[in-house]
Amino acid sequence: MRCGQCLAVCPIYRLSLNETDSPRARVALLRAVHEGLVERPTENTAARFFGCLLCGSCSFTCPSGVTVDRILELTRGEMAEQGLMPQPLVSLGERITEVHNISGEPNANRLVWAANLPHPPTGVGKTQAEVVYFVGCVSALFPRSYSVAQSFVQVLERAGVDYGLLGDEEWCCGYPLAISGELEQARETMRHNLEAVRALGAKTLVTTCPSCFHFWKHTYPVALGEKLGFEVKHATEYLADLVEAGTLPLKEGLPEQACPEHSRRDVTYHDPCDLGRKGEVYEAPRRILARIPGVRLVEMPENREGSHCCGGGGNLESFDPALSQAVAARRIQQAAETGAQVILSACQQCERTLANAARAERVRMRVKDITELVLESLKDET
Amino acid sequence: MIEKLQDILGPAKVLTSLEDRIAYSYDGTFAQSLPDVAVLPESTEEVAAVVRIAAEHHVPVVPRGMASGLAAASVPFGGGIALSLTRLNRILEMDEENRTVRVEAGVVTADLQAAVEQRGLSYPPDPSSNHHSTIGGNIACNAGGPRCLKYGVTGDYVMGLTIVLPDGRVLETGGKAIKNVVGYDLTSLFVGSEGTLGVITEALLRLTTRPQFVRTALAEFPALDDASRTVNAILAAGIVPATLELMDETAIACIEEAMHLGLPLDVEAMLIVEADGSDEEAVVREIEAAARICRKNGARQVNVAQDEAERTSLWRARRSVSPSLARKAPNKLGEDITVPRSAIPEAIRRIKGLSREYGLPIVVFGHAGDGNLHPNVLFDKRDAEQWAKVETMVEKIFRVALELGGTLSGEHGVGTLKRPYMEQALGALSLEIQWRIKRALDPLNIMNPGKVLPKSKT
Repeated sequence: MRCGQCLAVCPIYRLSLNETDSPRARVALLRAVHEGLVERPTENTAARFFGCLLCGSCSFTCPSGVTVDRILELTRGEMAEQGLMPQPLVSLGERITEVHNISGEPNANRLVWAANLPHPPTGVGKTQAEVVYFVGCVSALFPRSYSVAQSFVQVLERAGVDYGLLGDEEWCCGYPLAISGELEQARETMRHNLEAVRALGAKTLVTTCPSCFHFWKHTYPVALGEKLGFEVKHATEYLADLVEAGTLPLKEGLPEQACPEHSRRDVTYHDPCDLGRKGEVYEAPRRILARIPGVRLVEMPENREGSHCCGGGGNLESFDPALSQAVAARRIQQAAETGAQVILSACQQCERTLANAARAERVRMRVKDITELVLESLKDET
Repeated sequence: MIEKLQDILGPAKVLTSLEDRIAYSYDGTFAQSLPDVAVLPESTEEVAAVVRIAAEHHVPVVPRGMASGLAAASVPFGGGIALSLTRLNRILEMDEENRTVRVEAGVVTADLQAAVEQRGLSYPPDPSSNHHSTIGGNIACNAGGPRCLKYGVTGDYVMGLTIVLPDGRVLETGGKAIKNVVGYDLTSLFVGSEGTLGVITEALLRLTTRPQFVRTALAEFPALDDASRTVNAILAAGIVPATLELMDETAIACIEEAMHLGLPLDVEAMLIVEADGSDEEAVVREIEAAARICRKNGARQVNVAQDEAERTSLWRARRSVSPSLARKAPNKLGEDITVPRSAIPEAIRRIKGLSREYGLPIVVFGHAGDGNLHPNVLFDKRDAEQWAKVETMVEKIFRVALELGGTLSGEHGVGTLKRPYMEQALGALSLEIQWRIKRALDPLNIMNPGKVLPKSKT
């Protein structure tokens, strides 16, 4: 049976209106490969498996319970074994294996983002810490995303949290390798990271990156075959608890940066695929927003489980940038239709993709990470 | 021919790779067959150009929307051109004064419904596939849905069509005038023609006012027989609910497994009753009267949905019944027989009897209020013995429908799967006339050949 319900929610099919781009067609093609209708997969065959965001909308919707995104991850591995991985992804895999991050620069630069903070983060160079903040490659090494890491450590410090940073002992979490089908290479980096976190004796691992979060929480224990021995939390979960416990000194009025004409800012929230559908964290970011003075949340119709991918998922950006941008453009338009002045996300990748889309589409909207909003909403230090 | 198609559409809209052809080889059933090429035209002119080329080369043209059909009507068994209409997806004109909307064939039905509802209007036909099927496809198989009990089927809302004929000429039928008896009713001829007479590229549709008040009740019946009798008891009492849906225990179990709504797993059947209208008191009175009748006829509990969210999740559940059956067996063959209302309890009894006789589960759900049932046989097609049984069972299900004064299909259409039973349902004379119509319009037999009509004897 091939009911086609997935077509209605697939961000790529909805743009192309070409069945070939639908989840149903990707599964049908995989079946054709296994049944021999496709005798020898070619690059064109492999392209159908790599040209997907792995956003999971289809799997979530499928009434028959077909986990298309998971199936495609495994299929990418099969294609990789046959030498059919697209070149940009081959290079990405090589970079990660060689220098342990996705950007390709020396891993010693992992803390460059901290250089222009008012004072060096207290988490640097610790030998023991209650909490480890796993920064993730993008926030650590791509200057446009530094502010996510910068905001998060400042918030942690204002709350008096005993946290540690791994510095150059932090390697890529392994997610990009796994979704390209390079599981063995992923395991090596996973083992390294697990040892590094354990060395600090941490009780909790916190990430601002939802992909690191999803991978740490769901794949690490299974792929490594052992319990981690500490809790994995996304920054929004950690901050929601701090905010509700009253540990964070939130301003009482409006942040000064807000539009002076209005007493209230309308914001909308974009659920990242890896945090929402895959991580099942929907409430934490909303709990935070409910406590921030002067902010009103206006939801997009496609939210929570039904969230529309930002376009940045599944390594698609490395493989087909134009398609990735088109998906992002649609999402930023949905955000603009709410009338909100700000679109928040809880993912540096969503923030970057959506900010690019806002510029390209000339949508007058600020794009922020929720961590940045929390920092802005803290009382001035006395 | 491929070069000619590329010249007209541009190479990006002409798909010839094996990967692409696989994507255009199936519909919502288990049937599959590769087209030689798939095309993605974006206008009536482009569709006409494709059909002209096909006619010149005597190549089959198989039109398709989102290919969610359940009768293998858009599967290209003879190869040829799979013609996708999904990119003709503009809403061309909304005329609020005349309450009509003109749309291209590839508009997704739910998108159209959302657009007209924003203006306080309604497009009532609501096939369960409304989020993944197109208006063109709905018209081509004259789709129904739960609300058809009160509001009628797709065809009742089609006022006019733009059709690319099998020779590539473009025919316009109908118009905005409500009354129109000039000449034969060609609009109706194309409604339900499943792409065998031409390609529908645009439609002019009638709209209604959006009902302001809706109440939905869910009744739990320990005995299936009581539930099916209740359907008639409600209608006999003069109540015309917007919908009156029945689900048997397997259907309930499948959606509960898929969606976790807290549905009861210890009853043989449930009825979903929905009343709507512009007078809140009348709507409430209607739903309460229906609830009383349910209780009187053996319902152990009747719950009225408290809010819109509860109602929405109930309907999402109902729409997911058919696909969620895949959780129970690798394959299912879903039929959509119709019988006169009075025969519903007998039809259900006989179908369940067939299930016992052959030892394969038959799930029964559907639009009980209008006598349209979806018996779904669950099986494993890899098991030759099971498949042989299924073929016999389906034939017997059709016989049940015909013996009780009903017919083969209420809304899915004939496609390929019901072709063998056409003569039994319609008789030789009717088929002869239908073949004459087909030949008059499509002398080359290139429009979706091998569908609907069984092989001609003349």
